[in-house]
Amino acid sequence: MGGRHIICFGNELHGDDGFGPRIYTELCQLAWASDAEVFNAGIAGLDALRFLEGCRQAILVDALANFGKPGDVCLVRPEELANRPQRLSGHGLGLPYLLEAFKSLRGPVPEILIVGVEVTAAKPFSPGLSAKTEQAVPTTLQLIRSLLSE
Amino acid sequence: MARRTIQIDLNRVEGDLDFQLELEGNTVVDARCIGSLYRGFEQILVTRKPKDSLVITPRICGICGTAQLNAAVLALEQIGRIPVPPTAIRIRNLCLMAETVQSDLRQSFLFFTADFCHPKYSQRGFYETARAAFLPFKGSVHRGALEHSRHIVEIIALFGGQWPHSSYMLPGGVTAPANSRHIIDSLSILNKLTRWFEQDVIGTGLDNWLALETADDFFSWLAAKDAHSDSAIGLFSLIGRDIGLHRLGFGTPHMLSYGAYDDPDDAETPPPQRKHLFRAGFLDGDTGELKPFEQAEITEHVRYSWFQPYAGGRHPFQGQTIPDYQPHSDRYTWCKAPRYQNKVVQCGPLADALIDGEPLIRSLYQLEGGNAWLRQFARLRRTARLLQTMRTTLHQLAAHPDGPHMVSPVEKEIPDGEGFGLVTAARGALGHWVQITDGAISRYQVITPTAWNASPKDSEGRRGHWESSLIGLTVDDPDDPVEIGHIIRSHDPCLVCTVHLLDTGKRLTVWP
Repeated sequence: MGGRHIICFGNELHGDDGFGPRIYTELCQLAWASDAEVFNAGIAGLDALRFLEGCRQAILVDALANFGKPGDVCLVRPEELANRPQRLSGHGLGLPYLLEAFKSLRGPVPEILIVGVEVTAAKPFSPGLSAKTEQAVPTTLQLIRSLLSE
Repeated sequence: MARRTIQIDLNRVEGDLDFQLELEGNTVVDARCIGSLYRGFEQILVTRKPKDSLVITPRICGICGTAQLNAAVLALEQIGRIPVPPTAIRIRNLCLMAETVQSDLRQSFLFFTADFCHPKYSQRGFYETARAAFLPFKGSVHRGALEHSRHIVEIIALFGGQWPHSSYMLPGGVTAPANSRHIIDSLSILNKLTRWFEQDVIGTGLDNWLALETADDFFSWLAAKDAHSDSAIGLFSLIGRDIGLHRLGFGTPHMLSYGAYDDPDDAETPPPQRKHLFRAGFLDGDTGELKPFEQAEITEHVRYSWFQPYAGGRHPFQGQTIPDYQPHSDRYTWCKAPRYQNKVVQCGPLADALIDGEPLIRSLYQLEGGNAWLRQFARLRRTARLLQTMRTTLHQLAAHPDGPHMVSPVEKEIPDGEGFGLVTAARGALGHWVQITDGAISRYQVITPTAWNASPKDSEGRRGHWESSLIGLTVDDPDDPVEIGHIIRSHDPCLVCTVHLLDTGKRLTVWP
């Protein structure tokens, strides 16, 4: 069953919510194994379901809230999102809704991992990451690399 | 009597809307619909090259970008007097319909019917049935809608290269022809959705369903077979009427429709005179008279909006959008107040069906008026009509394999002048008004369907449609006003709906 998908979420116009798209830009500069594909899901909401299909592993990258100190890079499993009422980021319906929707569809479910950074502020219409979130970019890239080499 | 304020946030992908309601006891006595996000698309377009609108305006909305694109291209074609071949009109129509079908199915079964599973109804006879069908991610209809609604916009990706935010309509046509592969793939997507719709949503064939023409026909049909009453539309109707949605949420009686889908057989007639597949018009709710639609009768007021004030209303060609945020005044929104013939109007599938003369919707309207149940019912009725029209359109495309998809305009640039593009998006009447001076856009005014429906008060103090649809409503529990949720959702505004009370700061959620 398919390869591995790295799917980045967020809105780069809204401060730290642009973390996912920022990681996407970095990932595009790097060389990847032939079975790994990188996607920028932006604020696609339910339309991002497509990116979860046809792969054996999906690594989702997004801004996180209430998972640690600002700038902390976290590896989260979908079950840890259940029963967390917080919206993870300022766009659309959020990852928990998307994952819930995906689970209820027929078809094979890939292993899903969520890589994120605890953000400082998703400031509306203020492009650019805060210093702590920016500093988390190299750690996040390393983490994604190590997940893919497993 | 104790008076308190409830604030309801309607967080959409496109921009935020809030409702502020004043309750006296359990009754809504005042309502303010607040557009809380200033976006500035109209200003972004000023000074740009005319065709930039084809790339920028589809970004106005993640749900109706195709409609925005169509409005933008029609305005440019009007200014440049640019003809469009029938094949291009068919491709445009097909994509517009696909977008509307997705939006209507999601609005109905991912958001509207989920409210029937609210714990408030746990003692009602329908509760377990409602949960089995409509509970988010568990109910059969919710899951079916999730699965089947997502593929239909692939038709737009086939013809337009991507969805959402596509830019495949250009002055003179569309970017790619309808080759047989696209037509076959589209038919296969359409067939799959139609099968699910027939089986699970209407419990019968499209033709049988569309043959129902009167309220009596419909109620007899509903009672005739288990397959009908157990279908999604059967359950929606029985439950919706059981909780009285057919007696709530009327709003303004005046209805407006710009008409939907240019008639490809009338391609030679330039817009706005070109005929539509579904008629345009104005239904005067006071007299019941159906009148021709005249775009010159549209004005926008800013008396209660955060824009630099001007007196009365202005037609979009004289429109002005200069932000002037005054949070501590009696102004309360970033939305303007559009009016037609100086009247508060509503638009959307109910208005479209009544003005087009759809017999079943008319008959139900004559019986019970434009209530919350009928507004939602009209949306699903439209899905059936669109599925049928999409099939016809694909067959017509297949029958004209060599029809050109583009007639390149004689002039490379759009000349100076003014024009407008009026279309029907999923939520109703959408218009773009454009003026071009010295080769650049000098004015761009957009009136979205939600601007009509979510209008604030105008310079005469008259409330907008959504606002007025809630006045006088009595809720059982002001801490959990699910009735308000039903009415607001019937207007199709939102994805997420949370409520918090200003007086205590306590935050509540309109379930789920």
